[in-house]
Amino acid sequence: MPELPSVGAGPLAVGLTTALHRAGLPVTPERAAGLARALRLVPPVDRSALYWTCRVALVTDRAQLRVFDAVFSAVFDGLLDPADGRGDPNAPPPIGAEPHTRPAAPDRRPGTPGAPPESGTGTASGGDGDGEDSEREVLLAVASTEERLRQTSFADLTAEELTGVRELVRRLVLSTPERRSRRIRPSRRRGDRLDLRRTVRAAQRTGGDPVRLVHASRRRTPRRLVLLCDVSGSMEPYTRVYLTLLQGAVAGARAEAFVFSTRLTRLTRELSVRDPDQALARAGATTSDWAGGTRLAAGIGRFVSTHGRRGLARGAVVVVLSDGWATDDPEEVAEAMRRLRRLAHRVVWVNPRKAAPGYAPLVGGMAAALPYCDAFVSGHSLAALEQVVAAVREG
Amino acid sequence: MTAAARAGADEEVQGRIPDVAALAGALDAVDYLADPGLATAMFLAVRLPQPLLLEGEPGVGKTEAAKALARVLDTPLYRLQCFEGIDAGEALYEWNHPRQLLGIRLAEARGAPLAEDDLFGPEYLLRRPLLQAIEHPGPRPAVLLLDEIDRADAEFEAFTFEVLAEAAVTVPELGTIRAKHPPVVVLTSNRTRDLHDALTRRCLYHWIDYPDPERVAEIVRRRVPGSAEPLAVAAASAVTRLRSLEMVKPPGIAEVIDWVAALSLLGLTHLDAAAVEATWGSVLKNRDDQELARTPGAAWLAGA
Repeated sequence: MPELPSVGAGPLAVGLTTALHRAGLPVTPERAAGLARALRLVPPVDRSALYWTCRVALVTDRAQLRVFDAVFSAVFDGLLDPADGRGDPNAPPPIGAEPHTRPAAPDRRPGTPGAPPESGTGTASGGDGDGEDSEREVLLAVASTEERLRQTSFADLTAEELTGVRELVRRLVLSTPERRSRRIRPSRRRGDRLDLRRTVRAAQRTGGDPVRLVHASRRRTPRRLVLLCDVSGSMEPYTRVYLTLLQGAVAGARAEAFVFSTRLTRLTRELSVRDPDQALARAGATTSDWAGGTRLAAGIGRFVSTHGRRGLARGAVVVVLSDGWATDDPEEVAEAMRRLRRLAHRVVWVNPRKAAPGYAPLVGGMAAALPYCDAFVSGHSLAALEQVVAAVREG
Repeated sequence: MTAAARAGADEEVQGRIPDVAALAGALDAVDYLADPGLATAMFLAVRLPQPLLLEGEPGVGKTEAAKALARVLDTPLYRLQCFEGIDAGEALYEWNHPRQLLGIRLAEARGAPLAEDDLFGPEYLLRRPLLQAIEHPGPRPAVLLLDEIDRADAEFEAFTFEVLAEAAVTVPELGTIRAKHPPVVVLTSNRTRDLHDALTRRCLYHWIDYPDPERVAEIVRRRVPGSAEPLAVAAASAVTRLRSLEMVKPPGIAEVIDWVAALSLLGLTHLDAAAVEATWGSVLKNRDDQELARTPGAAWLAGA
């Protein structure tokens, strides 16, 4: 080990973490301190020892490994004897893996018109129309405009109208049907199971005689909601509105959000930021393939094999937002959908092209996917999105 | 617990694993093969000490790593399998209610007076893994394995970390139980959901990659005693070939072990197409995967 011992553990840790921080990894000072302590325990006698100590102490997620490897190499490989790194199976890949930035969106800043409404439940789900409508009036000020907006396809809206619509979409509440949880809560019904803990507590008051039996029933929790949104070129007019929908679902229903076109990206993290436009910008920074071609089978298949099977899709309500125009073999689409269907509780497909007059799901991918969907709705306008809400809530 | 006694215990741990190489050797001696990365991670987890979060595909030996660490330290392993809806009663402690009721009845029959304190004594306490690990008397810390932490809900995750950070449990009826030797904590996750930042912040992190065929063969040779050497090598490289296909459930190390055990039991000493045909089920446990692998065929898999 030639140079390193001359550098103290502290400065080394600070130097590396600063470089990592600059490359965009969330490295905290706390972790830098942890690395300094770790380096005292594991003296960096060669590149491998140094690499593993730094990696174990600083990385917090597998997704960070590429950037970490690149930065580590940039910082140390000039410093160390290159022979040390040669033949190392963990030799880092060259730099250049940084995500591309999405082309700037024109309407980042929606000037929230009118006062923010406080009344009512804040939902725009179907059902009793009165309360919701009055709420929207406050929001958009003019009722007739609002009604027209409700029916207009997202693709035909002006930038200004789109801002208002997105504000409304953000308020849509997606809620899934319930399932029985393992947790229990006290219940009045006999025939439920006995809550022994509470019964014994009560029995102490009556000299150990369990006079009053306390029953308990299983608590009910909403099913998990997973949204998969197609962001390929053909979906572009709808993508921005759908992302707003995704964001509302992540914040309100704790949904998991993914986007796909040629590859699949998990966006739950990015969309959980408070400020919606910032979230959209961050989402844009994460997916480098906006508005490219679609690979439906690959996107859904990848979701099933990397996330769905691990438990994300099991018993969940899965919503796919896509026009079904894909470049891959319908046979593969069917196969991916079949695997998804076996895991999920319900599959809802949202296709904005469905509303077009004379539309029939004859496109290869869509036709292949349809047999595995429990609901097939259009969701091309605000009114149509309410059907989506209903489809998600159903049984 | 005095500081001197704790320092003494630390010395004992230090004596057992003075450096990474010593830990790797000790793991090897208990038949767990750890690469330098995993050995470094486990060494730091014990010596810093800090909880260690292990991630990796199913079947790369995350749980085995914790078990091997407990064997190296020669301490008990307390394993808590997490699942959706797990609560404090299943993780920490619970009162043994049926026994309490019985105690009340017995006291009545004997005519002996019974105070509430008698009912809520240590003998009526059912200790769950978290409490067991904290109560472990030493001389070295126990290993606490929180398996598949991502399956538990976020609230449980936060609760667990609170308990571990304090290294103490308060049972209202008994008082506070403080750890003499805070346990070495190993968590595993299959990434079904993002873990909370607070958790990842406190943990060391290591991603375990699927090992190369030579290492797999070595693991198999140790886990299936009496298996023929060429068989282990052939099976390991066959599974590596299988993993190159787009499998629904790619076979892991556990499948290689099952497979070699099955082949050995059938008295086969080398892998050929006939041997593969007879044992599809012990390596591929999904019908779609079996069909996928049958396309290139048994001979391809056997390496012919």
